[in-house]
Amino acid sequence: MDASFLDLLMAQQEQVAEAESGGGGVWVVADVVNGALAAVTLEAIGAARSLADSLGAYVYGVLLGDSVAELAQPLYQAGADGVRVAGHPALAPFALEPYVNVLADLFAAERPEVVMFGATPAGQELAARLAQRMGGGLIEHVTAVTLDQSTRAVQGAFPIYGGEYFEIAACPQARPQCITVEPGAFSMPYLDPYRKGEPKAVEVQPVEPRVRVVGPAEGFEPPALPLRDAPLIVAAGRQAGDFALVRQLAERLGAHLAGDRGAYDAGWIGAEQIVDVRGVVVAPKVYVAVGIRGDTFHNAAIEKAGFILAIHPDPEAPIFGLADLCLVAQPSEVLPALLDIL
Amino acid sequence: MDFTFSPEHNALRRMIREFVENEVAPLAADLDKKHLVPRETMRKLGQLGLLGVCFPQKYGGAGAGETGYCILMEELGRVCTSTATNVGAHIGIGAMAIYLDGTEEQKRKYLTPLSRGEKIAAFGLTESNAGSDAANIRTRAVREGDSWILDGGKVYITNGGYADIVTVLALSDPALGVRGGVTAFIVETTWDGFKVAREEDKMGIRGTSTAELVFEELRVPHENVLGKVGEGFVSFMKTLDMGRLTLGAAGLGGAEAALDAAVYWAKTRKQFGVELAHKQSVQWMIANLATHIEALRSLVYRVAWMVDTGQPFTQLAAMVKMYGSEVGSMAIDLAMQIHGGLGYSRDFPIERAFRDARIAEIFEGTNEIQRIVIASNIFRELGVRVRP
Amino acid sequence: MHIIVVIGRVLDPRGLVVNRRAGRVFVNREEYVLQPADRCALEAALRIKEAVGAEVVALPRGPLPDDDVLRQALAAGADRAVYLKGRIGSLPYEDAVMTRVLVAAIERLGGADLLLTGATTLDTGQGQLGIRLAEAFGWPQVVGAWAVTATNGRVQAVVRDGASYLTVEAGLPAVVTLAPGSLKLRYPDSARLINVYKGVGDVATALETWAMDELVGAEALQPLLEERGQDFPPERERGTRVSGSAEEMARVAADALRKWVRG
Repeated sequence: MDASFLDLLMAQQEQVAEAESGGGGVWVVADVVNGALAAVTLEAIGAARSLADSLGAYVYGVLLGDSVAELAQPLYQAGADGVRVAGHPALAPFALEPYVNVLADLFAAERPEVVMFGATPAGQELAARLAQRMGGGLIEHVTAVTLDQSTRAVQGAFPIYGGEYFEIAACPQARPQCITVEPGAFSMPYLDPYRKGEPKAVEVQPVEPRVRVVGPAEGFEPPALPLRDAPLIVAAGRQAGDFALVRQLAERLGAHLAGDRGAYDAGWIGAEQIVDVRGVVVAPKVYVAVGIRGDTFHNAAIEKAGFILAIHPDPEAPIFGLADLCLVAQPSEVLPALLDIL
Repeated sequence: MDFTFSPEHNALRRMIREFVENEVAPLAADLDKKHLVPRETMRKLGQLGLLGVCFPQKYGGAGAGETGYCILMEELGRVCTSTATNVGAHIGIGAMAIYLDGTEEQKRKYLTPLSRGEKIAAFGLTESNAGSDAANIRTRAVREGDSWILDGGKVYITNGGYADIVTVLALSDPALGVRGGVTAFIVETTWDGFKVAREEDKMGIRGTSTAELVFEELRVPHENVLGKVGEGFVSFMKTLDMGRLTLGAAGLGGAEAALDAAVYWAKTRKQFGVELAHKQSVQWMIANLATHIEALRSLVYRVAWMVDTGQPFTQLAAMVKMYGSEVGSMAIDLAMQIHGGLGYSRDFPIERAFRDARIAEIFEGTNEIQRIVIASNIFRELGVRVRP
Repeated sequence: MHIIVVIGRVLDPRGLVVNRRAGRVFVNREEYVLQPADRCALEAALRIKEAVGAEVVALPRGPLPDDDVLRQALAAGADRAVYLKGRIGSLPYEDAVMTRVLVAAIERLGGADLLLTGATTLDTGQGQLGIRLAEAFGWPQVVGAWAVTATNGRVQAVVRDGASYLTVEAGLPAVVTLAPGSLKLRYPDSARLINVYKGVGDVATALETWAMDELVGAEALQPLLEERGQDFPPERERGTRVSGSAEEMARVAADALRKWVRG
């Protein structure tokens, strides 16, 4: 079979047919950021698809916002069977109340089994308000889902203490079951270009938002986070090479900058930035050790780090016994490449 | 017998521990390295009422009793012996003398600002010829109308360099000596004739002011006589008894910190392919120390309870001071040994704690004096007055 | 002004160890600390009280075995606190039901102008309680504030918008949730602390105890959520070496960093 015949076959575009009546289904409320669909929305559609298949139900997407109709097709491509669009100039960032009303009205008619949101600031507020209005249960920051067939309840796993372990909870009775989905936890589904659909418009009653943006917070300085409490740290050692690159990496990641005693001796960091049992003991989620050999006193100070990435030219460097990911290379070669990608 | 702390004391400890972790610990190294006095910390403690932790609330204190005071000293002792010493001299002997023997008027005038940290206190007893031999003081107090003129001086006075109030012991009648010839005074350091002559440069507790005070025709109004004229010695001995106990509490804190550090290092440091914690010699050191600490803790808080319930405690307070200071020294010595070279480095807190611990066996009554007190009390029960 | 602060506690993570291989959580030292974000909320309330005058009442975020959390709030400076006695199933987090209880409690207190609580919990990472309360009362909400002021029937808050900060405003009554790390809770006055725990002095009547099932009835205390187990991340594999060119190494490193930094 040659490619052109295949194309002809596929060109009988799969028009997605929606279910006749409302009732049930796994719904995904889309996160729109700067006029584009957030990745988490498509990830959620993917998760919704597998749940819906097990439930024998349909997947629906909801788009809220100004001029969002053109974002409907990716939702179909990701696996949605239907899409509702509530487009109205009144819907704008930081004015979530109209959204809640739209969703509440829509879901009162459609009676979803499951409603998924992205675990984003907007998604969280919508999910909680909606769950409360409709009497549903809400599980936030879900990273994995399974289905309890007996009660058609979604079992969602969510991280405890930032991911030390996971609790699994379900909402067996109350409906809808609301879930906020952790970005990046579910894989991006395959976007089938031949899957298309006709989104349905939903009426919007504009509501005056009750929270008003006054303007930029003039002169507001958030409290400084000390190194020992920093969740992300990029640290330099004697073999770091160009310290400016290390600093750039820290900025790119939004991380605190630190170093070992070698970095202090080299004049790159201050005494209060020394990661060492004789300096600051840290417990970040992520610790990037650039050119740090890793003696006992430094390594004892990063014991509690969640994930350690180490870059050092010497394959016998003690840091490699501690690090999760080891790059045996010159930092001056790896850092530019890393900065290019990030 | 109920060995649990009351809810209010547990809550107090938790609050103090958080304060110490956030406000005291970050400054400890600098106090030592730069020879600074923790004035800001004293102010913050005062604002929270902790500089009067054992004094009644009507005098600005917390009303937490001697137990509360021991808790404060223990938590401070864990982290910074210098800060604990500043606090101990202020509450435990400086202000305490006024609390034990002051008139209502004196308490209202002096104890309340002392409890709130608005003023800092020191205790002026020791002189160059009168250390353990406290009765040998020479500072003279001569009555002149409605005031007294003090001449002389004191040495090794903790907080002396920055105190606002010093409770001073002086010889009011040389003929009578200790029995009826010694009077205590509340001296305000802004008065004419009061001078801070010099500061001691010490091996440890370098975050404290240890000053030599000089009195030259220092005029003290008669209303500032503390207790009865001529009965100052007894009054001061009572005060020292109280102060002793909390010194043991600070020693307990220091020992606990040393043990924690030793345990942590033993489980972290690997030599010969295995952590030090697996070596029997290390395990025995730690077991011995932990046992001493348990015994000390029981002793400290039992004596605090006796004070709070009005029972006699002189002999036990001496035991607490003696045992607490020696356990403290033993603990930090052991911690230093376990830390090896790291313990000797000035970049690490062990060596500072080592230097800080030693003084506890010397000041507030040397351990020799404590032993004399204990033995005297024991023999007195048999009707024997021993002469040391 | 009447301010409600909803405040809870969490097991201090420094006292527990997760054994991934055994699939178990070992609590070596059972100590509780106040939810960090709720502490910020309490501090925000006390600052507003100092600025414009207010009565600050503390309520618990969830079921508690004793009233210690409420005593801590009183010691720090709250004027009143109510311990809500009872249980909601076996789950320590049941915000939908707790919302019902808190609404009833707040109504019994005579309502409020401002409700402050933490934007998220340290352990379960759930931020829904404050928002549910806003919906239940029909009030506007501001989530994740870094600073709050309130005057004359309006509340202003600073919130994060990407890398910058915005000031937003709403009319009272409203709910504002505080971001963790936004404000440092003051230390309690030691005399007040002693009195709160002894139940004497001015604060003797400041702490009350109400029963949850009296406020909402036992039926309404049935939990919506059920615990279905725990899951553990894979065991940590240290020393994974990446080979290849600098670009290949950088790619692997970037993937890992993105995953860890986002989550």
